[in-house]
Amino acid sequence: MTVFENKEKMQAVLGGLFEKLLADPEFGPKFVKSGITIKFNISDPNAELWVTPGDGTHGQVAWGSHADKATVEMTLSGDTCHKFWLKQIAMPIALAKGLIKAKGPMPKILKLLPLLKPAYEAYPEWARSHGLPVD
Amino acid sequence: MIGYTELNIDLTKAQNAMKEETHRFAREVLRPASIELDKIDDPETVIKSPLFWETMKQGYDLGYHTIFLPDSYGGLATDPLETHIVLEELAWGSVDFAIGLGISCFPAFFASMVPSDRLIDDIIEPFCQCSDASLIGCWGITEPDHGTDTLSPFTATFADPAISGQTRARREGDEWVIDGQKAAWVSNGTIATHCLLYPTLDPSRGMAGGGICIVPLDLPGVKKGRPLDKLGQRALNQGEIYFDGVRIPSEYMLVDPESYESMLDVTLSTANAAMGALFVGVARAAYEEALAYAKQRIQGGKPLFEHQMIKHKLFSMFMKIEAARALSRAAMIYNYNNTPPMIQYSIASKVYCTNTAFEVASDAVQIYGGNGVSREYPLEKFFRDARAAMIEDGANDSLMITAAHHL
Ligand SMILES: Cc1cc2nc3c(=O)[nH]c(=O)nc-3n(C[C@H](O)[C@H](O)[C@H](O)COP(=O)(O)OP(=O)(O)OC[C@H]3O[C@@H](n4cnc5c(N)ncnc54)[C@H](O)[C@@H]3O)c2cc1C
Repeated sequence: MTVFENKEKMQAVLGGLFEKLLADPEFGPKFVKSGITIKFNISDPNAELWVTPGDGTHGQVAWGSHADKATVEMTLSGDTCHKFWLKQIAMPIALAKGLIKAKGPMPKILKLLPLLKPAYEAYPEWARSHGLPVD
Repeated sequence: MIGYTELNIDLTKAQNAMKEETHRFAREVLRPASIELDKIDDPETVIKSPLFWETMKQGYDLGYHTIFLPDSYGGLATDPLETHIVLEELAWGSVDFAIGLGISCFPAFFASMVPSDRLIDDIIEPFCQCSDASLIGCWGITEPDHGTDTLSPFTATFADPAISGQTRARREGDEWVIDGQKAAWVSNGTIATHCLLYPTLDPSRGMAGGGICIVPLDLPGVKKGRPLDKLGQRALNQGEIYFDGVRIPSEYMLVDPESYESMLDVTLSTANAAMGALFVGVARAAYEEALAYAKQRIQGGKPLFEHQMIKHKLFSMFMKIEAARALSRAAMIYNYNNTPPMIQYSIASKVYCTNTAFEVASDAVQIYGGNGVSREYPLEKFFRDARAAMIEDGANDSLMITAAHHL
């Protein structure tokens, strides 16, 4: 059994999380300023999630193929995604062990890590509100 | 002027400018300083000399200690190809200083993989903003009793409980307590302010039971040895570090045995890919000197270069360097763009490029004749620098066995 029962559920949870964060007055502008476009290649359920600096003022969340070129590309399963945002696995360890495969220059990936902090903070509550297990 | 043709037709103007600038610094500052420091007999005198510190400070001022670190902290954040270009040029001038500057970022670089607020404030930002070489990092992994043993992840002996490290860390409340000793080979060892330390946490897992932590070296219980006197790379400071009940906060333990072997693999991949780039620079330095000398030294009534045997030798040196650059660039671009990396490519690059540097430097000495072994000329230094590299960051023969496990 995967955590996300289908693609629609995952889109609601992960897409919703990023939309919420991009609207946040602190995270949103910081993310846009970083100039980083992230592409998540997710399996089980399969989907491509893009988080981009959008028009340069408001970041954007998109699903499926996208015209932009990703600065950083993360390949991982839906379950790993869930555990990652719950901080049950740390990024470097997930990367070193191959649970997450990252493509992109190392300094860009390292730049991304502190930016993601608000996502970790928001996720447990967010996941719970969508009926997902968080322990 | 840079002595090779850039075969990458996609290099941008900014990347070309970065190459030229780094080359200028290497030619005007690093090369003369490292040749001067190489003549000093006592390595203690090297690190007391104003020339050593002036050179380090200039390297820091230009940000070369931060090439691996994100610009959001103030790092130079070069992309993988640029990193290769910068390392090759720095090492062309002085591989000793290039390694000293490069390894210095290890504590901050690893801290930026788990960037808690405390690590950002204590370690990463101060290091990125340091422009006077007052914060220097080192990598403490090998030990007096364990060299190759520490650098063989995913081999059978690595998890043998009969073989475990002599630097141990144990948890006490919110702290880790460290006892033991790292080898005299720790680069920057006696001048470092921070160590990225690889102690053993769980000896029952053998060498695989390690951890990775940051140790500020001004803590009570830290003692350093005398700078090591060695063949080659003499401006690269080295020396042992002793730990006697040294206490670090738990937040400074970045990696535990659960992921130690994988993170060691990442460490070795990163370091070995860098070694490949660096020793292309050393090979090129030796080749360029030999080519210039061959065009000017007359024997048999004409320049050495006009003799077929010498021309053939020089072309063979040229081919090896081009092949070394192609392999090491490809390995670095792949492995610095992909996590987890493929260690076999980094090791292939390290072994091939350091062997090439040694062979090319040896041929260059031969072309110089008696002058090749004279300390009046830089050739014998390049030769010694290259020889040390065949053991540095893992002995080449043993590294090949570690890499072969991935075939
Ligand atoms: C210039 C320089 C810089 C260095 N910088 C650092 C640094 O910054 N930090 C740090 O911690 N260390 C550093 N080192 C240490 C370096 O990584 C070690 O010297 C290296 O890994 C070899 O270990 P060793 O010297 O103990 O030799 P040993 O491990 O004793 O090996 C001796 C010989 O035996 C071979 N051998 C070893 N094990 C086996 C085996 N199982 N089967 C068959 N053959 C084997 C080796 O290939 C080698 O030829 C540096 C070394 C040098 C020379």
